[in-house]
Amino acid sequence: MSASMIGMIGILIMFVLLLLRVPVAFTMFAVGFAGITILDSSRSAFSLLASESFTLASSPELVVIPLFILMGNVASLTGMSQRLYDAAYAIIGQFRGGLASATVIGCGGFAALSGSSVASALTMGKVALGQMDRFNYNTRLSTGVVAAGGTLGILIPPSTGFVIYAILTEQSIGRLFLAGVLPGIMLLLLFIVMIMVICYFKPDFGPAGPKTNLKEKSRAILGAGPIVGVILLTIGGIYGGLFSPVEAAAVGAGSVILVGLVTRTLTIKLLWSAARDAVVTTATVMLILIAAHLINPFMALSHIPTAVGEFLAALNLGVTGTLILILMIYLVLGCFLEGFAMLVLTLPIFFPIILQLGIDPIWFGVLTVLTLEMGLISPPVGINVFIVKSVAPNVALGDIFRGVLPFWLMMILAVALLMAFPQIVLLLPNTMFG
Amino acid sequence: EELKFANFTPPFHTINASVIEKLNNDLSAATNGELTVRGYHGGELGSGPAEQYIRVLQGATDMAWGLPGYTSSQFGKTMIAELPGAIPEDMPGYQALWRAFDDNLSQEFPGTKPLALWTSEPNIFIMRNKVIRTPQDLNGLKVRVAGSTAAEVAKALGATPVQMPISQVYNAMQTGLIDGVITGASTLKDFKLDEVADALTLGAPLGRLTFFTVLNAQVYGDLSAEQRAAVDAASGMELSKSAEDAWLVTANAALAAAQKDSSNAIVELTDAEKEAFTKAVSGVVNSYVNSVDGDDALAAMQGN
Amino acid sequence: MFAAIRKLADGLINLSAAIGSLGLIFIMLVILVDVIGRAFGSPMYGSQDVITMSMTVVVFGAMAICDRTGGHISVDLFERAYPELLNLAIDISAALLGAVIFVAIAYAVNESAKLSAMLNLSTNLLRWPKAWFQNGLSVFALLTAAGMVLRALELTFSGRDVRKGDAV
Ligand code: NA
Ligand code: NA
Repeated sequence: MSASMIGMIGILIMFVLLLLRVPVAFTMFAVGFAGITILDSSRSAFSLLASESFTLASSPELVVIPLFILMGNVASLTGMSQRLYDAAYAIIGQFRGGLASATVIGCGGFAALSGSSVASALTMGKVALGQMDRFNYNTRLSTGVVAAGGTLGILIPPSTGFVIYAILTEQSIGRLFLAGVLPGIMLLLLFIVMIMVICYFKPDFGPAGPKTNLKEKSRAILGAGPIVGVILLTIGGIYGGLFSPVEAAAVGAGSVILVGLVTRTLTIKLLWSAARDAVVTTATVMLILIAAHLINPFMALSHIPTAVGEFLAALNLGVTGTLILILMIYLVLGCFLEGFAMLVLTLPIFFPIILQLGIDPIWFGVLTVLTLEMGLISPPVGINVFIVKSVAPNVALGDIFRGVLPFWLMMILAVALLMAFPQIVLLLPNTMFG
Repeated sequence: EELKFANFTPPFHTINASVIEKLNNDLSAATNGELTVRGYHGGELGSGPAEQYIRVLQGATDMAWGLPGYTSSQFGKTMIAELPGAIPEDMPGYQALWRAFDDNLSQEFPGTKPLALWTSEPNIFIMRNKVIRTPQDLNGLKVRVAGSTAAEVAKALGATPVQMPISQVYNAMQTGLIDGVITGASTLKDFKLDEVADALTLGAPLGRLTFFTVLNAQVYGDLSAEQRAAVDAASGMELSKSAEDAWLVTANAALAAAQKDSSNAIVELTDAEKEAFTKAVSGVVNSYVNSVDGDDALAAMQGN
Repeated sequence: MFAAIRKLADGLINLSAAIGSLGLIFIMLVILVDVIGRAFGSPMYGSQDVITMSMTVVVFGAMAICDRTGGHISVDLFERAYPELLNLAIDISAALLGAVIFVAIAYAVNESAKLSAMLNLSTNLLRWPKAWFQNGLSVFALLTAAGMVLRALELTFSGRDVRKGDAV
């Protein structure tokens, strides 16, 4: 049997195990380990199991995950999230789905301080989901918004997705970051439009609140002061060169803890439960990431990406055809691969084809990252959906996937718009870099 | 037989043509295509530089390349070659390393057959908004360093050494979190530092980086006698030279591009200016060599 | 009998989670000390060594409690469509598969730890032996595996699913 065939069978088995409710991480471990053993050796599989487990668990970049969750937990337990949403409710709560739109805007803001979609979805999930529950928002809408809104994390700079793309393709990180800004804002607006559409047809998904007067508005906004202050401090500290985006997570967590202790809304007992919950969620997320890294060598050894690349080159489809086909391949791959693993596996094969066709690499980069985001929320392996599930254990995974679907459609629309109007991508980088 | 070569960098990285493709060509030519090498790029067989040696040792891949600096405790004596002034400026680093290999360095590579050992272009100051001419110019500046000896060098020069993954350096320089980095010119291209740096200082004794390419010893032992002979012929000095030359070409191209950009301040230190730096770092070199009992290794590298 | 073993297991699982939680608070403090110190020209020496090694404790310290509280995510699209007996069989097999995976992780990382000791591997600045943290990871992984085996036994013989019971 050919290596590619074994790879395909592995993917098939993965689907079956997932549908049989075997935990996502266990499934990927089992399939990855078995695949590497068959295509190479059990020695190799054990070696990769050990090194990926330890390397990811000790990765200096992934520290943001537990720290941002801790920040979100403390903000919720001390009532800071509550006051933030009280303020949002006072401002736009009178509109149907107003809090969902506020959450999307919050995701966009958080994306400016976090380079990772996982961290965005986790933190916003901890902060926002309980609050939208409080105002009787439908869980399908609230979880869908957080899962989809979280993906803005890698489109709006800073973005680990663009950094990896830039290094894999020798493109400018600065240009890519700038190129992500307008599409990021556009996608954010498209999400809000979708929320309005959903709530127009299903008013009970995001019930409208009472009108508030100016006094009530200003009182609510003042109440949100501390948490807004922490967020501004954190963003300011990054752009002011005081700390890195990774360290920002610790600064954010430390600040909310300090505010909590000073205002006596946080006790040691509460802090302890926040930390404990943070490490449990971290374990969930990290185990999935480690397992996803075993699928990667399995796919590489199966040579499926190479075969797909050769097939694509032989088709001679021209610019638009090739582009659409590549994005469709990303869409399919995104259903069962982790996003960054996918970039590493496919870019070395697709990128030369892109260059040959004279396609702008920055434009292609943004399209790629956007498609990769769609993979983050598409079943069965939608990492961001799992993230939201880990924050909202009582919501069925199927409901989250259903909740995400309308936003997924908006991302398709966004891809179409970017393909039709490359200026949206290229305007900022070309103006700033010439 | 196809040997797997794990490469944690992208396929167009300097390593590919100068080592991976070259090995593949030389081995297939010598064995009539019986023995070939296939590169797995971008960390397909496991990400990051730190675990590459272990992966070869454990058989996750047959061959890999890496930097001793990421696991410096394993490579105490090899790391001497990274020290400022350890290898005379006009001497190729790979020659120094191989001269010391048999007697002094081989025990630092257990379970593998080193196919190539080489060094990078000399480290330079890559700075943003700060032009360095004297050690005093570094006073209080935050400079990113890779390992413990580099940290000592930075401290000896009066800078504040900052530890961070190379992938975060771009952002950190842009926001002013760090003022610069001590590393080779090839990072201008490999990590896009050319976009954020605007001042380079060349000629200060700041050491260089070392690299290895290793083959699993058991895999080597299981090859036929002819195939082993082909591996022997394709590796060693010649392969190391190919790698080091390619590194220098990449670095020179990156430097030339930086020089063309008129917004960059490029300082080439005079001999007198170099002297101040040499004096400042000399203590670091001696104390490191003593700490690893490396007098013989250093002497062998220097050809004494 | 299960009750006594469960009590002991929960005690160990709690202890392991507590170590992970302390690790997280510790990491946060180290980064804050580093950031503040750096602003005044004296960052913490070897902070990155401390942070990355403590992260292994945070991540794997919480693995056992993650399983205990049903934290591992599965695709529940068809849960209600499956017969009860199938769901039980799936739960038992998945718990056993999880146990096998964590034993494999413990074994593999322990083998690597032996190599780390042989190669004298340690963190770059503080020279903390890598094998310590690899062995720690193995112990946490074994505890997680033991918890999963116990969960499978309880499911098989008493039908009890600890994940749906009270929090520990
Ligand atoms: Na971002
Ligand atoms: Na997906």
